[in-house]
Amino acid sequence: MTDPASPDGHLEALRAQVRAWMEANAPRNWREASQTQEDFVRTQRDWFAKLVEGGYAIPHWPAEYPGGGRTLAEQKVIYEELARVDAPRLLLSFVSTYHAFATLHECASPEQKAKYMPRILEGETWCQGFSEPGAGSDLAALKCKAVRETRDGKEVYVVNGQKVWSTMAQFADMCLLLVRTSSEGAKQAGITYLLMDMKTPGVTVSPIHQIQGDEEFAEIFLDNVVIPVEQRVGEEGNGWAYAQATLSSERGLTLMELAYRMRGALSRVIELIRDNGLENDAGVLRDFGSLVTQVDATCAIADRFLDNRIKGVEQAGDASIVKNSYSRALRAYSLLGVRLGGMAEQYVKPITFGDLNTGNWMADFMNSYAWTIAGGSEEVQRNIIAERMLDMPREPKGWKL
Amino acid sequence: MEAVIELSELQDAATKAFPADKLIPDRDAAWALAAEMGWLMIRLPEELGGLGLGREASTTIHFEMGRVLSSAPLIPAQLGLHAILEAEGLADREDWLERISGGEYVPLHMLPTKLETAADGAISGTVSGVFEGDMAAAVIAYLPGGYTLVPADAPGVSLVERPIWDKSRRVFDLMLDGFRPDPSLVLADTVGSRAIHDAISPEAHLAVAADCLGGANAALDMSVEYMKMRKQFDRPIAMFQALKHRAADCNIRIVPAEALLWSRAAAEPAAVTPAQMGGVKTYAAEAYQWVTEEAIQFHGGIGLTEEHQVHLFMKRAMLNLQLCGSPDWWNERVGRSALAA
Repeated sequence: MTDPASPDGHLEALRAQVRAWMEANAPRNWREASQTQEDFVRTQRDWFAKLVEGGYAIPHWPAEYPGGGRTLAEQKVIYEELARVDAPRLLLSFVSTYHAFATLHECASPEQKAKYMPRILEGETWCQGFSEPGAGSDLAALKCKAVRETRDGKEVYVVNGQKVWSTMAQFADMCLLLVRTSSEGAKQAGITYLLMDMKTPGVTVSPIHQIQGDEEFAEIFLDNVVIPVEQRVGEEGNGWAYAQATLSSERGLTLMELAYRMRGALSRVIELIRDNGLENDAGVLRDFGSLVTQVDATCAIADRFLDNRIKGVEQAGDASIVKNSYSRALRAYSLLGVRLGGMAEQYVKPITFGDLNTGNWMADFMNSYAWTIAGGSEEVQRNIIAERMLDMPREPKGWKL
Repeated sequence: MEAVIELSELQDAATKAFPADKLIPDRDAAWALAAEMGWLMIRLPEELGGLGLGREASTTIHFEMGRVLSSAPLIPAQLGLHAILEAEGLADREDWLERISGGEYVPLHMLPTKLETAADGAISGTVSGVFEGDMAAAVIAYLPGGYTLVPADAPGVSLVERPIWDKSRRVFDLMLDGFRPDPSLVLADTVGSRAIHDAISPEAHLAVAADCLGGANAALDMSVEYMKMRKQFDRPIAMFQALKHRAADCNIRIVPAEALLWSRAAAEPAAVTPAQMGGVKTYAAEAYQWVTEEAIQFHGGIGLTEEHQVHLFMKRAMLNLQLCGSPDWWNERVGRSALAA
């Protein structure tokens, strides 16, 4: 038996505790209850509130917040158990608890922190206003313009522009907004970071209709939006540095959780093989077997990545390998489903919101692109792997067409 | 689980003894060096005079040997040792273990047999996949009556080299012509031999997977170095994104396969199924093949010549794919076993 006082014993005790809590509290029928966007959002809000109450919503926050102060090893246990019980993934609150939290915690003023952090625990949700139609992989090329003015005796920024690919912005209360305050010098230098209330006049949100029928992302239009200077994070022109804190806030837990969930969802492929009477089709078994090992390898690299982080030996590019390994396994997973399902998958079926492995194979296949394109496209990750892991030279800067 | 420090010490010792820039080190010298470093008995329990280390340790050694395309046949030797360790009924078991620890080469064959038994019990036919057969004092062969030690100099026994494309290793057929097994050299009957097979097959898969991934890393390193040096259109070709992405793809194949290898090497033996071990070998060997196929293309014309060494990795990868069961066979088995789980 493991000594409860040893590090492993402590983690196992935590696991037992989390597991018991999850068994008692995790919603079971969330897929059935998530057939419309509104229902999905409601199940998300309920589950988040319950997790806050149980002390498992924000394990990565500092200890001064209830449920915070967990080590990465403890967080890993919690996420493994979330995947194990097949609880809904926390999509709606993700930007709030990771991106907004990291930015507020690492870069914001004490007043901003005191104001917004508790509200996240109360269910206030944030979205991210980073990408623009002309600034995707090349984020620093963003153009959304903020002009500093004095209005009614107050210092404000007047913002005009458009943001895109903002996850669930249509349900967000607040926005992490990157704007351009200067066009001088390097493009990274003129970027400023603002905290914007989504109810401010001039803010319009329009959902993006994705090819599989989901509306997970939205566009944000900003038309003379007035944002007080007090809503700025840190110094003007220093937004690029703060954005790095936002973007590096989540390092590996999500992919580990997703990889484990995909492994659990291999049962859906098995169902498909059985339903179609393909149990003895050698070709199908080979392709399925190959997928099983690919998914296992993805779980193994996601685990190893987290372990390396816990030990403090993470290296540049490691995260990119995990992401591409996952996204390719996810594509292979859903594509095998489409193939095995045959014509049946070409008839439209209702989609399930908030899940990547739903068994609606065409929808899952289309949704899998979210992982090869969003969060740093596969191509950007490959550049990082080549240049930072393999030390291949960068292209010369300042190249002009 | 073994201490990390121990594994990294082993790895350091291996990279010092077998530097990366010296591919296919002289076989006999490499064998002697491996024996001197205790690698022939790395898995032999301490009470039997070995180092008593676990799977992670032997995996570390095979990984490093794969990196330098070692021709010293440590994998068949380790498997031979394992077979004898498992063969508790073998008459002179301790003697054999001692001889092996002393540097005698008693390999397990790594490819199937094609044998016939005459009415009088004499066996004729071929036992394939005896690596470096010229070094072997005896071969552990899966005969119709079970695993048996076949002395290389016994009557009716000959070892015939079969030229292979992989120039880093040599493979022999053990030819039997009216061979009569010595009952005192039988490791186990057919039932016991099945158990021995099941005990050593995960070891074989881990070893070959490690060889593959050591080699895949070396082939990718070699390719990246070449691309950084080779200039066309006034720049190192490593600057072209088309090539960077393909090099990155190679690494995306290698790194997760390695993670899987180490997680399965570290796992409690009972926690990993035979199919999963076959799966990791297949995954690693397919990654090796992918990477080395790309590696030749990365080198362009020089990669097609014997002036450059990159082809050696590809040839080893292609042979590794065939060892311990083909990818088709294992992928199907992994699929079937996941279906039944």
